[in-house]
Amino acid sequence: MSERSTATVEIRERKSGFRSFVSKLNISTWAGLIIVLALLAAAIFAPQLATHSPSKQNIMDQLAEPGSQYLLGADQFGRDIWTRLLYGARYSLTIGFFAIVVALFAGTFIGMIAGYRGGRIDIIFMQVMDVVLAFPSLILGLALVALMGATLTNIIIAIAFTATPAFARIARAGVITQRDREYVQACQAMGFSGPRILFRHIMPAILPEVMVMASLWMATAVRTEASLAFIGLGLAPPTPTWGGMVRDGFDNILSAFHLAIVPSLAILLLVLAFNLIGDGLRDVIDPRLKDAS
Amino acid sequence: MNIKFPKSCLMAAMLGATALAPLPALAAKTELSLGAGAEDIGRLDPHYAASTIDRTLVAWIFGGLVRFAPGTTDPAQIEPDLAESWDVSDDGLVWTFKLREGVQWQHGYGEVTAEDVVFSLEKSADPERSAYASEYSAFEKVEAVDPYTVRITLSQVIPNVLGPLANYAGGFIISKKAYEERGDAFSRQPVGFGPFQLDTVESGVAAHFTAHQDYFRGEPELSKVTYRFLNSASARDLAFLAGEVDAITGLADQKWLERTLAIDGVTVDVFDPAELTILHINSQQPPFDDLRVRQALAYAVDASRIAQYRGPEFTRVAKSVVPSNNLGYTEDNGYMAFDAEKAQELLAEAGYPDGLTVKMISSQLPSYESSNQILQAQLEEVGITLELEPVEHATWHQMIRQDLSPLVSYGAARFPVADVYLTQFFHSDSIVGTDTAVTNFSHCDVADEQIEAARVETDPQKQIALWEEAQKLIIEAVCGVPTTETAGVWARHGNLDWGFDFKGSMSLGPLLTEKTRFTD
Repeated sequence: MSERSTATVEIRERKSGFRSFVSKLNISTWAGLIIVLALLAAAIFAPQLATHSPSKQNIMDQLAEPGSQYLLGADQFGRDIWTRLLYGARYSLTIGFFAIVVALFAGTFIGMIAGYRGGRIDIIFMQVMDVVLAFPSLILGLALVALMGATLTNIIIAIAFTATPAFARIARAGVITQRDREYVQACQAMGFSGPRILFRHIMPAILPEVMVMASLWMATAVRTEASLAFIGLGLAPPTPTWGGMVRDGFDNILSAFHLAIVPSLAILLLVLAFNLIGDGLRDVIDPRLKDAS
Repeated sequence: MNIKFPKSCLMAAMLGATALAPLPALAAKTELSLGAGAEDIGRLDPHYAASTIDRTLVAWIFGGLVRFAPGTTDPAQIEPDLAESWDVSDDGLVWTFKLREGVQWQHGYGEVTAEDVVFSLEKSADPERSAYASEYSAFEKVEAVDPYTVRITLSQVIPNVLGPLANYAGGFIISKKAYEERGDAFSRQPVGFGPFQLDTVESGVAAHFTAHQDYFRGEPELSKVTYRFLNSASARDLAFLAGEVDAITGLADQKWLERTLAIDGVTVDVFDPAELTILHINSQQPPFDDLRVRQALAYAVDASRIAQYRGPEFTRVAKSVVPSNNLGYTEDNGYMAFDAEKAQELLAEAGYPDGLTVKMISSQLPSYESSNQILQAQLEEVGITLELEPVEHATWHQMIRQDLSPLVSYGAARFPVADVYLTQFFHSDSIVGTDTAVTNFSHCDVADEQIEAARVETDPQKQIALWEEAQKLIIEAVCGVPTTETAGVWARHGNLDWGFDFKGSMSLGPLLTEKTRFTD
């Protein structure tokens, strides 16, 4: 067989691999994906979709009910809730995504090194991770944000820090199951360096599980960010964040409950979507996990 | 043998027994539960108590030589408290107070004597142990003539001697023995001779009080008072609605008022003094060291919008740097009314044609949070970006006193004579970060001369003229921008009777007296 035909077969196999992967996704995963994409579109096109300015106050219209002027009503300063919801999506998605990307890189790296090297390094790295893991993510995030100040970067760092151990654990477990496989021994016999074996050969094998973890943790990150904002450690006003909107709404819940309900539903929707995606991916990538749970 | 009683006999016996049993007396309840907009207490050493809740609580625990008649803030209605009577020398310099005998300290600290009074007033006048020392600068000597007589000698005649001796700020008398024994812990374990003693503080949950059994006006009708920290306005409202608390701090907000008045049997007390909120501008820090920038800020603030947000029932636009109920208040002071164009012109002139960004540490107390956000939106319109840094209220009180915020929006009410407000907020002795620091956040010193001269001026007309001049100078130098005056507001269920007509409270919250009770 010529070289070209081998390549064609490989591509075909990859394609069919992707197709079979996609075909295995269940309906709820699709629902999750659609919701996330829709919210992403809302965030990107917020200026086009918005009907008002997110920080413009109209005191005369405070706590206005949903209607033609204000699609989802107005808050205590007469700011349009629909507009603030759209802009708020930017912060929720940005924080959810970047915090988890940072945690994914940091945690996976730490876990892989610990798993591959074993011995003392493994013990030290994982003990540290266990200490971090011992704190509930909200409490730890709260302490870090209070310490560093509530800026976008700091919130991302704080949430990433709380999520890192989860990735370290899963990456380490993956590496330990792979490290004694024949292909790894073959690599070692060929004299490949440790990093090369780890990052070029072992990593692809553990990545799917890490990705499942990432989508599930994105939900947690969104939730943590909203919780921080709710207790007053979110981005400074007038930045519209969903958690901050719930906080504002909560103070007026007896006068106008839509202030709190609308952003709460948005948070619910995004968290649900990430969970649906995570569950779906998990079912496809590692059905055993489903049985286990 | 098996004896059977007819069922009807049994029923009759049971009914008879029930009738004979003593009926539980339908006594009114004696445990009061209040909901406050706070997360915790700060300092209950009355000579430092600054926040609204601390002031409210120290007024239950402590008393003064004299007191404002409960429910009033009128200096003309000051009445005896610990002092039974007093004499003044002909030259007005020597004041002799005769103390009531047998007045007992709380927690078994014995009788209140002249020695305690001397100790307290000396502490109040000592800037190292009091935040109100400047009010006692004319007090030359305080001495105990005998256990029940205190003589105060003044270095010069001052207009209102009873003011600093009333149940307010530095006027509260503390137990010498308890203070010396408890040291720093006194702030959380205070001992006074007022009607209610503090038993425990559950951090973040509640402060628990019991009646001071030996209170000299008689044992209080209430046996226990729980002051719950319910910082979330909604949680507080819900607790009130469910009857978990008998009275709550209200919100100076029209929607809140409408909603609360709609509840059956609820009374809303709106009371003086209205707290004057001023946006203090630190004139030492750039960009505010430039007068034009301060002026621009003054022109950029449209206080009517904050007043409108709160509602006319509670709030009016403030037009001077002392509260409008103060003796010596004037509106003829060069007050800069809102003018966005002028603000922009001044900014451009000062070298900020594209606007500027400034930082402000902001309290998370809902009333501050909302006013500051309205302010933020207003300033944005003239190109000033106000970066708010929200922190918890007690932390905010600490941070602004460390000179950490170039802009400080601060609401306060003081003894209603212009001297007190002017001294505490605009005299150089009160500049934050100094040894004698009080609340001069702006580092203002332009009216020192007038404030000091007014303090010793014996001609009332001239004194008022000096205070008016001081206000003009402070407004001219834009040490602060007055925004609003907001009255205090509490809501209570109808069966709670404060024991007086609640029209005012120097302690910024309801005073509890021996007569406070439930009517059913």
